[in-house]
Amino acid sequence: MQIESKEVLNLEGVACPQNSAMALLRLESMKVGALLEIVVDEGEPIKNVPLSLEAEGHEIITKMKVDKIWKILVRKS
Amino acid sequence: MEIYLDNAATSMIDPRVSEAMLSCQDMKAMNASSAHRLGVVAAKAIEKTRAKIAREINAEPHELIFTSGGTESNNLALKGTAFANKGRGNHIIVSQIEHMSVMATAQWLETQGFQVTYLPVDREGFVSPKEVEKAIKRETILVSITHANNEVGTIEPIDEIGAICRSKNIFFHSDACQSFTKTKINVKGQNLDLVSLNAHKIHGPKGVGALYVRRSVKMEPLLHGGGQEGGVRSGTYNVEGIVGFGKAVEIAGEVYIKKMTELRDYFIQKIQSGIEKADLNGPRVKRLCNNISLRFRSVNGQSLTRELSEKGIYVSAGSACLSTKVTPSHVLLAMGLEPERAQEAIRISLSRWTTLEEMDLVAQSLSEIVRRSRKVG
Repeated sequence: MQIESKEVLNLEGVACPQNSAMALLRLESMKVGALLEIVVDEGEPIKNVPLSLEAEGHEIITKMKVDKIWKILVRKS
Repeated sequence: MEIYLDNAATSMIDPRVSEAMLSCQDMKAMNASSAHRLGVVAAKAIEKTRAKIAREINAEPHELIFTSGGTESNNLALKGTAFANKGRGNHIIVSQIEHMSVMATAQWLETQGFQVTYLPVDREGFVSPKEVEKAIKRETILVSITHANNEVGTIEPIDEIGAICRSKNIFFHSDACQSFTKTKINVKGQNLDLVSLNAHKIHGPKGVGALYVRRSVKMEPLLHGGGQEGGVRSGTYNVEGIVGFGKAVEIAGEVYIKKMTELRDYFIQKIQSGIEKADLNGPRVKRLCNNISLRFRSVNGQSLTRELSEKGIYVSAGSACLSTKVTPSHVLLAMGLEPERAQEAIRISLSRWTTLEEMDLVAQSLSEIVRRSRKVG
């Protein structure tokens, strides 16, 4: 199985909606189909950021909780 | 015909900036702190601008804090750093030719238990890096030296001062409101910890500025509230203003610097060869590309400014911020001018739109007014 490479964007401590904005801007700079792992805080960020990404048509592949943070794997559309 | 040559006080908004600001209404950019979709639109516009301006000074985007302008940036730089680091010491160094938003802040900090050294300058307005080094003591926490003086355009040796401060682990702030986009700023290469920027001097809107704060600098906020800007500067984002600021930075370019430098040097040469006893304040080189500060012996700068204004030519006597006061400029006094000579000064500051024809007309008017004033006087 081939493992796809991914970029990582750490948005721990970044409030809403700046976290969504920064994630969307990073995705804008990437190629269609590329993977981005976004690290966000628990609470509002894990609720809001995936919604903002989906609203712009990006595909959420996984959301994984690791200790007190969340890792969102998203594919650029 | 009107000729505006007071661009160091403020500059006209570039139509491309106005257009960018209006686009915020088209895209319905709302409160950039609201978590809904329109909030995200506004936040995206802000983060895009933050990255653009950070790139211009070789900073990381998260190191840039948006403010209401240069005065707030300077206040935050000095007060924020002083109070957050008072455990390390209570001594601050500034020069005697800082903008009033640095001078007055430093003076206020003295009333709060801080000690301030006001460094002298030479006859051209240069701060000596050696003097900075000599003034540093164990209690020094911050050095604040302007990048370029607002009245006489002297570009200070901030590379050398930055190297000295970094080697001694002292924070270095520079007010770059006059020099931003006119002289290169490289926060990493120049060892800058804090830099004040604003938009309205570069054909952007009034009411918006920024402070670069290196990641390792501890800051105490001036404004408490919703926790925007990492808690350092609360307050609803001025989305339109910030977007306009970004556009102004984007369109500022070296082509304008070259043009303004040529016009500046042409004008100085023309005036000094055509009018007797016309002296340049500040240096010939290491000078802002758009600054011409002159004094004409026995001609009062305020009167000269008024007479030029009647002809539709707008310049300032000394600095704009001081033009309502009768006291001579603290900058010119610090450069060693007698009060009488300091009151003869006028500042002509060019913009990207200034033309050769305009400068010729101003030179002609100046020549007539100076000759007449001297005859009457």
